[in-house]
Amino acid sequence: MNERGLEESLWLLSRARRDGLLLRVLILVSPITALGFTRLAAGQTPPVIAVPVIALALLCVLLPDSHLGLLVVLLVATGWLATVHDPATPWSIGIAVSLTTFHASLAAATVAPPSARWTPAMRRRWSRRSLAVVVASAGTWVVVAAIDRYEIPSSDVLLAATLLTLAIAGMWAREGTVAGDPSQRD
Amino acid sequence: MKSTEHWHPTTAHVRAHLGGLGLAVVAVLARRPDLLVLATPLICAAVWAAALRPQRSVGVGQSIGHRMVREGEATTWHISIDDPDDLVDDVAAVIEASTFLDTQPIDGQVVVSLRDDGNEPLAVMVRSTRWGSRRVGPAHVVASSAWAGFRWESENHADAVTLVTLPLPSQFDASAPAVRSPGLVGVNRSPRPGSGTEFEGIRPFQPGDRLRRIHWPQSLRTGTLHVTSTWAEHDRHVVLLIDAFEEVGESDGIGGRESSLDVSMRAAGAIAEHFISSGDRVALVVLGARGVQRLPPSSGHRHLRRLLEVMANVQPLSALVDDGRMPRGLGDDALVLMLSPLLSPGALQRAVTIANHGRAVIVIDCLPADIAQQEPADPYVDITWRIELLKRDRDIRRVREAGIAVVPWRGPGSLDLVLRDLHHHARTPVGRRQ
Repeated sequence: MNERGLEESLWLLSRARRDGLLLRVLILVSPITALGFTRLAAGQTPPVIAVPVIALALLCVLLPDSHLGLLVVLLVATGWLATVHDPATPWSIGIAVSLTTFHASLAAATVAPPSARWTPAMRRRWSRRSLAVVVASAGTWVVVAAIDRYEIPSSDVLLAATLLTLAIAGMWAREGTVAGDPSQRD
Repeated sequence: MKSTEHWHPTTAHVRAHLGGLGLAVVAVLARRPDLLVLATPLICAAVWAAALRPQRSVGVGQSIGHRMVREGEATTWHISIDDPDDLVDDVAAVIEASTFLDTQPIDGQVVVSLRDDGNEPLAVMVRSTRWGSRRVGPAHVVASSAWAGFRWESENHADAVTLVTLPLPSQFDASAPAVRSPGLVGVNRSPRPGSGTEFEGIRPFQPGDRLRRIHWPQSLRTGTLHVTSTWAEHDRHVVLLIDAFEEVGESDGIGGRESSLDVSMRAAGAIAEHFISSGDRVALVVLGARGVQRLPPSSGHRHLRRLLEVMANVQPLSALVDDGRMPRGLGDDALVLMLSPLLSPGALQRAVTIANHGRAVIVIDCLPADIAQQEPADPYVDITWRIELLKRDRDIRRVREAGIAVVPWRGPGSLDLVLRDLHHHARTPVGRRQ
């Protein structure tokens, strides 16, 4: 990031109003929340993970349309992998919510200039979709918790996941898209 | 305007893909199914965005409501989107606002959900705050698909529109009678008695008087025939001579600080509107400007529009030096209204030259009244202006001593006193004048 790019980003940030400002707050807060959930699940958050995550989140506020967000996601996941040893902990739903918020905020911050006012329809659609993803994450956790509780062998899980993937791929190959009727989309 | 740009994946889509896939792989390899919970949001977003990826390019149409407005008036820049795949979610547009153009919404930025809100709200109001010609648009349009996974951008910079902003005339009215004119047609009272409608007085009958003019009550009272005399009516020929050699002072547009050229243009617009609404002929000569510099005398509201358009396109040419020469095409019996900040000796010299050629000339001082206070932070500017204004006052005094009226522009009634004096001066017999 050169000096001009930084200046432009700072200027854009200074122009942020309402929705743009809220998105940038969410971009900063959601990785910190993810670190908090990691701490709740593991009892600690290594500074070697926390400091870069917060620093990168701050940079993401300035540059939402960059690949820094991917680094934040990977660092948060690394912190989780390194410190949490209970695969079925419900705090993983919290961290999934945080990652959903982070990804959605970053993506939403790139669709419009920072001072543009969002329409209510846009707010509703992004909220609805994020909620749907959170519900899907909760569903995944239920499956993960079931696997952990009933000690299903990992080969069985892999087999089921592969079959499911093949089924979806087959549908896609037949129809050309999994979207189906466009009028039925969210 | 049709664009042919393509949809391309965004950083959000790359993040969802790589992040989701990476976490899923690590979850399998490290036998940590809980990582799948973390990967689910990213995988969902990636699959969702890929499934609803638009294929065909978006068509963008852009238009402006009006190409000509007055200062302070606004027009709307409309953007219409044609989405052949019906897969566009959000459309954002930005119009670069140049100087003296205000936009609403702020910064000229607007975003809508195309399928929910439609094209209607995709409009930016553009308000021009200063006279002149300015380029507006085209808007930079960005369309995004589901989860902002794919983006399409218009990069067409060819269809900018020139928005002409006419000067908003200041308030002006003149109740003084006309000065002098060789013609006996028109709606103004001539300084000479003649065949008109406006009452001048009652006088004894003279050979040649019309019988229908006889004032019978007075004739019966006095025993001699008396007639009602009227003022003749005539057409006025006004020349607006705008000095655009130099522009001093900062301009903030309408409602803010005014430069000398702002004052000149708004005053000229007001004077032209006043005289044309009275049925007079008004000509325009702009000195020291690029492009069209003069308009022949004419009357009517269409001519007023042309006058304002020419004024709106005035661009001062700083390379020119004011030589103080008499401009061509002023007309023999025109009333010349010269609008100038009077900072260069050439401008004052020109006024003297015009008067010496026998034209009635009024110099309208268009230097902003607050010129010395426009930069309060710099005391040296204030001192410099004070010295400059003292020199200017001395020069103006000399011009006044030469018999030329110099009046500061103060809006309504600015010229009344001078026009009345000129009128009386014109009525005075030549012998008494000398």
